Amino acid sequence: MLSTRDLVAGYDERTVLDGLDLDLPADAFTVIVGPNACGKSTLLRTMARLLTPRRGTVLLDGTAIRELPTREVARRLGVLPQSPLVPEGVTVADLVGRGRQPYQRWWRQWSSEDGAAVDQAMALADVTDLADRPVDSLSGGQRQRVWIAMTLAQDTDALLLDEPTTFLDLAHQVEVLDLLHRLRVERGRTVVAVLHDLNQAARYADHLVAMRAGAVVAAGPPREILTADLVRDVFGLACVVVPCPVTGAPLVVPAYTGGNSAGAASLSVGGLGGSAGSESVGGAGGSVGSAVTGDPDSSTASVPGARPTTGDAATPLAGSHPSKGL
Amino acid sequence: MLVAAVLTVLLLLAVVLSLSLGTPYVAPADVLRALSGAGTPYDLVVFDLRLPRVVLAAVAGAAFGIAGTLIQSVARNPLASPDVIGITQGAGLAATVALTSGMAAVLVAPTALVGGLLAAVLLFALGARHGLAAQRFVLAGVAVAFGFRALTEVVMLTADPIDGLRAQIWLIGTLAGKGWTEAAWIAGTLLVLLPVLAWAGWALNSTALDDDTARGVGLRPVARRIGLAGTGVLVAAMVTAQVGAVDFVALVAPQVARRLVRAERPPLVCAALLGALLLVLADLAGRRLLAPTQLPAGVLTAAIGGPYLIFLLLRGRRRSS
Repeated sequence: MLSTRDLVAGYDERTVLDGLDLDLPADAFTVIVGPNACGKSTLLRTMARLLTPRRGTVLLDGTAIRELPTREVARRLGVLPQSPLVPEGVTVADLVGRGRQPYQRWWRQWSSEDGAAVDQAMALADVTDLADRPVDSLSGGQRQRVWIAMTLAQDTDALLLDEPTTFLDLAHQVEVLDLLHRLRVERGRTVVAVLHDLNQAARYADHLVAMRAGAVVAAGPPREILTADLVRDVFGLACVVVPCPVTGAPLVVPAYTGGNSAGAASLSVGGLGGSAGSESVGGAGGSVGSAVTGDPDSSTASVPGARPTTGDAATPLAGSHPSKGL
Repeated sequence: MLVAAVLTVLLLLAVVLSLSLGTPYVAPADVLRALSGAGTPYDLVVFDLRLPRVVLAAVAGAAFGIAGTLIQSVARNPLASPDVIGITQGAGLAATVALTSGMAAVLVAPTALVGGLLAAVLLFALGARHGLAAQRFVLAGVAVAFGFRALTEVVMLTADPIDGLRAQIWLIGTLAGKGWTEAAWIAGTLLVLLPVLAWAGWALNSTALDDDTARGVGLRPVARRIGLAGTGVLVAAMVTAQVGAVDFVALVAPQVARRLVRAERPPLVCAALLGALLLVLADLAGRRLLAPTQLPAGVLTAAIGGPYLIFLLLRGRRRSS
């Protein structure tokens, strides 16, 4: 679907990506993670041809994206930039309609096909009720769904999103991610997103790409690659990785630092679940509950308490609908 | 659509009124009869004395409205207009030089056009880096405007006072003594640019998107801005060269039209119609208010447009709060 070959990209004097080779699978939900300034947004922007690489190529289905007319790319690849500017006074239906731009010309401006695509996109993103509202009067979560609806109206096979959950509260984050998940499962779209939250990445991604300092450290299914070692490598953070009680996906729990992140990190790893600290507790479920509740100050051991409501449904949920159980 | 129809009717009424008022007074019925070619005693007054000037007012007003709409959309700033980004000052400097150096009268307008286009070139050279981004475009324009204005003052102060006064009147903008020739130049320019304007009317819709979003939906925002701004300054330079620096039409017409159609961007056709209406009325008022003394249309457009814009702004603020 999307690949990069020997990609070098950056801003002004600064080189962010230096010779990156990457293949993103089709029909999958790929999530790119990494610390701030690791180049994940730069990678996404370059793949979406918003940023011109200094060297190397981005391949869309095997063709160099630079050699395709931008209008044709826009029919195959939708992109939602990080915090786009909301045009003043524009209504939801109007903004979603802008997604039809690649299908229009000034002498052939609006077709019934465009109308149908906009209606469908608004229904999918659940913003049909807001159609006549000005976008700048909406809440952050609604606004984000409207932007996603705009890219959906583009009717593309692939969708690239740069931190689509930033500035949203937890419920709205889950709402947006569920929508993306549904697009992949029900519509067969290829979704690529940059996310900040590792646990959300692990929960929703079919394919996880972990980056550090402009290079890919690991790529693959989160259950295979997301370990405490990887988190320490990529983020420099000591943590425990346990299976999520709801989905069974890896759940990253930062190690106890006692409020002193530098010195206490190594200490707390020992305190938290003993030997489990620096290694991945693994995808095996089973013993993990005890590892977590093994915390000596179990005042925060709320996980077992939550289990009766969701516990038995945990594993079957994993593949279908990540938040239905909640 | 409805707004455009209403504006067209109002424009036609204003044209008839403008042909009818004056010395001698011609009843509107007689104006219509003369226009239909029936042959009336008023043919000379209507056709030869008044119609050229009224047509010029309408055409120039429409051109100002179009130029203002294009420039404001690229600048993303309702205050941007040809006289804010330096086009008017470029034309003004060239015209002042022409008028104070004893150049033949027929050469004043072409010289002013060259001046306006030079200012446009300078504006693009200064503003083009970073893809003619809105803020840089406006700042470059303000710098160009101040530079040319300063040079104009120097030329004025060193010139013969009588020539200086003529230049002053040109700078305010007047339709007195002008007619078919000037109207033909402006209308010809608009006609040649018609396909471009048809494209522009559609392309304006997407100037509100930020560059990343625009590229995402397959647009080339920088090329689009250059096309729109280039068209805008071309029209502005041409109309300013012909009728002088008529203030405020280019600024007010797009903003009033935008509020009339309740759109988030100034609409091109309605702005053109409104510009025409505004300038026809301003010229009529200029002719009649202190008759037989004639006030330049530019004075009246500022006098009418200013308060009306203030009214709209006050109303807008109340609604949005």
